[in-house]
Amino acid sequence: MTTARTWAPVAVRSAARRAARDPGGLAVSAAFYAIVASVLSTLWRTATHSHGGVIAGYTAVQLTWYFYFAEAAVTALNPRQIEITGDDIASGAVAVDMLRPASVVGMRIATEFGRCLPRLGVCTVIGSVLAWLISGAPPRPVALLLAVPALLLAVLCNLAAQHAVAGSAFWVRDARSAWFLYQKLVFLLGAMLIPIEALPLWLHRIAEVLPFVTMAYVPARLAAGHVEPQLLLLQLGWLAVLMVAAVTVFDAGERRLQVVGG
Amino acid sequence: MRDITFSVEPGERVAYIGPNGAGKSTSIKMLTGILHPTSGSATVLGRLPWRERRALTRQIGTLFGQRSQLWFELTPRETFRMLGAIYDIDGPRLRTRVGELGALLDADELFDEPVRSLSLGQRMRCELAACLLHEPSVLFLDEPTIGLDLLAKQRFRELLVRLNGERATTIFLTSHDVSDIEQVAERVIVINHGQVIYDDRVAAMRRELLATKVVEVALSAPVTLAPMQGVIVAAATSSALQLVVDTACRPVRDVLDALLGKADVTDITVTDPPLEQVIAEIYERPRT
Repeated sequence: MTTARTWAPVAVRSAARRAARDPGGLAVSAAFYAIVASVLSTLWRTATHSHGGVIAGYTAVQLTWYFYFAEAAVTALNPRQIEITGDDIASGAVAVDMLRPASVVGMRIATEFGRCLPRLGVCTVIGSVLAWLISGAPPRPVALLLAVPALLLAVLCNLAAQHAVAGSAFWVRDARSAWFLYQKLVFLLGAMLIPIEALPLWLHRIAEVLPFVTMAYVPARLAAGHVEPQLLLLQLGWLAVLMVAAVTVFDAGERRLQVVGG
Repeated sequence: MRDITFSVEPGERVAYIGPNGAGKSTSIKMLTGILHPTSGSATVLGRLPWRERRALTRQIGTLFGQRSQLWFELTPRETFRMLGAIYDIDGPRLRTRVGELGALLDADELFDEPVRSLSLGQRMRCELAACLLHEPSVLFLDEPTIGLDLLAKQRFRELLVRLNGERATTIFLTSHDVSDIEQVAERVIVINHGQVIYDDRVAAMRRELLATKVVEVALSAPVTLAPMQGVIVAAATSSALQLVVDTACRPVRDVLDALLGKADVTDITVTDPPLEQVIAEIYERPRT
């Protein structure tokens, strides 16, 4: 069988090129991102100022960079990915993917990752410029450099987890409700809306051991100036686990695929 | 599906037909490894499709008329590049192959157009190129001409026959279009209620099942024919007659002699009933 090393880079490049050919879509995503990230960071800056300049160990400057990066990591993905993949499974459209000598889920994740890249690039650049203009230079440039690979890993972890969840459509035929729940978990336990350090301790402890922190919190914490390269290892570890989960779910699901008619 | 047994020789062109819900697409999906049967077995090119799906996909090509395998935002050439990576076809070989397919399918100029801007007929030629890229030995086609106009259908059928002639590619086709069967297939397998109810050469099916002939006569003056056993007057006007002759109980020659003796005939044609009618008769056979 062809290895992913052969087709995955082509799939990523090809999908990235396709996404880049849609400047209208990119502009809408960028505008949405700039508004939401600016509102969130403004709220937290204001809260920080009224709490003596520090909340949960973060200064106003750090929280500005935090939220621009947390939001970029999540906005880069298609927000309805679970629903789309689930619908492809339920409708049988996934059958076409099964006619190729490549992993169905691997191919889908590679393609979606490529599609996310232009959006991630645009949002990160816009976010960095806005954060710099609003609150000044990044707290620790070295940490900001670590945040760049962390953003890529965050997107990959998120995609792998979404495909593992979407694979439930092989059994339940409708993954829409799962999408709704999943999104809220990323918002809360992924620390996109609130840094996990600001959560109640018991919830903080739960969030720490779940994979959602890899999807927004890790790049955001690094961009906020924490030089913690071990967070990248945490992402790599979770990525391996989530990929295995996605592949296992799809392999089992493909064996019980039900497609009726043409 | 139950108790379906058949084998197809390399290089054969087989039409696999049946009414809606008979199990045609299900069979193709099992033979291509997409669906797992609850019981029974099948091998394609010596492989068990649902256990060795990925290995088998290197040797077969599959085209679903109702599902595209091209990426709509890309040009076909970009899709071929992608498929080349999946099938592990190196750059020079891929370029040669795309050139060959462009010539074979007369589609070279289409390969650089975005897929979304192609007509259905043009897109189907590109779809065919995509599933032939890795030089499959067997081609599974599930209603490949659905939605195409008459000219595009004709062209597509000619391509399939040419491909079979030049590369000896085995063709396994499902279709509701009788012309696909007449013009592409040499052999027809009919299934209904999940069972094979007919399996023979297309020509033999015609001979065996066409126990009737249609006689159409143009007249210069009206005529009234005496009733003849085995002859039904299907349509009659002052200048034309259409008779259906049951050749099992009356030779066509008797009918022609009677007509030429009594009527002032200006033109006469004898034809088989449409294949569609023959197939409909097979479909209506009682379940065994």
